Amino acid sequence: MSAAPASRGPSDPVPAYYPGCSLDGLGKAYEVSCQIVLDRLGLSLDRIVDYNCCGATEVKNLSHDVSVALPARNLALARSMGRHEVVAACNGCVYSLTRANDAVGDGATRARINSHLSAGGSPTYDGEASVQHVLEYIRNRAGLDRIRGAVRRPLRGLKVAPYYGCLYTRPKRYTGVGRVPGTDDPEHPVFLDELLEACGAEVIHDYPAKTICCGGGHALSDLDVSVAFSASVMHEARRAGANVVATICPLGQINIENNLDRIRQAYGEEAILPVSYFTQLMAVALGASVRQARLKDNFSRPDLFLRERGFS
Amino acid sequence: MPIVEPSLVTVKREEKLELDGIDVSGDWNTFLEPRVHTDLDLKIVDWVRSQPQGETISRCWQCGTCTAGCCMHTDYGLEEFNPRYFIYLAQIGYEEELRKYAQTIWRCVSCNKCVERCPKGVKVEEVVHTIGTYLEVSGGAPESPADRFDRAYTENLLARGVLDEAALFRTYERLEGRKTPARDLLRLGFTMLLSGRLHTGPFAHRTRGWRRMRPVLTKILEEEERARRARVEAPASRARGGSPGRAP
Repeated sequence: MSAAPASRGPSDPVPAYYPGCSLDGLGKAYEVSCQIVLDRLGLSLDRIVDYNCCGATEVKNLSHDVSVALPARNLALARSMGRHEVVAACNGCVYSLTRANDAVGDGATRARINSHLSAGGSPTYDGEASVQHVLEYIRNRAGLDRIRGAVRRPLRGLKVAPYYGCLYTRPKRYTGVGRVPGTDDPEHPVFLDELLEACGAEVIHDYPAKTICCGGGHALSDLDVSVAFSASVMHEARRAGANVVATICPLGQINIENNLDRIRQAYGEEAILPVSYFTQLMAVALGASVRQARLKDNFSRPDLFLRERGFS
Repeated sequence: MPIVEPSLVTVKREEKLELDGIDVSGDWNTFLEPRVHTDLDLKIVDWVRSQPQGETISRCWQCGTCTAGCCMHTDYGLEEFNPRYFIYLAQIGYEEELRKYAQTIWRCVSCNKCVERCPKGVKVEEVVHTIGTYLEVSGGAPESPADRFDRAYTENLLARGVLDEAALFRTYERLEGRKTPARDLLRLGFTMLLSGRLHTGPFAHRTRGWRRMRPVLTKILEEEERARRARVEAPASRARGGSPGRAP
């Protein structure tokens, strides 16, 4: 078994972009606001057109080979576009794509997975695509100075709790975080803190729920757990003085927001905070309107929150 | 040597006991019950190791780092959710004790903190899921809600290459035997549908070329399932005498 390589490998002027099911659907606001941020920072990504679902954390419990072949097919498509870099915006996608890379590091596994892929009419995968989260991509490719220079409306009055969730850095064996140069800290990540600070927000650097699980994987099958965890994200953020939570994962965002009513019932109104994708907040800072950043899409209504503070 | 586990001893205090004219009053019955398990079966750990998701189980040296940070154990406070103990029981083959946790193991939320922190490179989360699978495949443990969801999820994505969330919610609720989906799911569904964020029905997005991929993956799924069952039914590769069981 191999571990994540010690370097990212070659970098592309325009990396491949893996949207995954959620950015194409439930997390549309994430994709739209991501696009705004990338445009305004002069970055671009090239979408993998005929992608398939990566299998998240569910498929691997049923079948190892299917759980590697699904993400490997997407990475193979990126390679056939001539790319070495793949950017994904969902923590679950980053997890399963990097997990596939780890698995195909073993020659025998790669041969077996490739025989499945060719039997299914897909290009084969050489194991040479490196995967990163869009947060890492924006922070590293644009750089904090360029972001500071591009800010049109600093996020004054916003006390943002950056919420990373589970699988952005974890496990480093797959994601390479902490071992590959230019990646985040695996136990105490800071990239999101840095980006939001560059946008002029006051950032809550330390609160206990910063990298806990939101329970999203069991959102349907273990409701108690998903309510308890999503409540503690908002509750701990508020206790630390935040007035808004920034997320980097569509599953986390949707899970927290879909539990709002139950959290209100169980813990009261004071446990609720507006929750927004980090790119939505960044888009507003970079000059997009609240409407363009689709902040109204979020059930926790960060649009009202931002309008109260003078952002239009 | 002090008795470290007094709960296992029923001390019988004889205030006035005489045998053949000799005073033998005092504490009797102070020996520990023999606690040697003879029904340990290494089939479990062999099986877990034979699965690609479970092969790292043999690296575990029982340090407990996984459990110290486990969000189900520590944050949610489900004390009996103890990945270190699950692995220990599997390693020594104490199936009887392991089965007591059949309804607990599935609650792992896959946050991967354990995999991140394990100093020995055990993929704890996948190993724990594999142990749960063993309990199901080998009979006895009913399918858990999480397993039903995994199955619904996998079937859903295999159908078109991408997820149809609305269909997934419906399938899962049906598997759970709920006729009408929860209110919040309905609300989520309607909001998403009206704002164009939910793709469902015959005209929803599908992955081009999936028609060829689907049967290949379905076949792997079935083959792996068959192999899992065949392996569990096969006689154990080797047998070994028991070793004392320990409390967690």
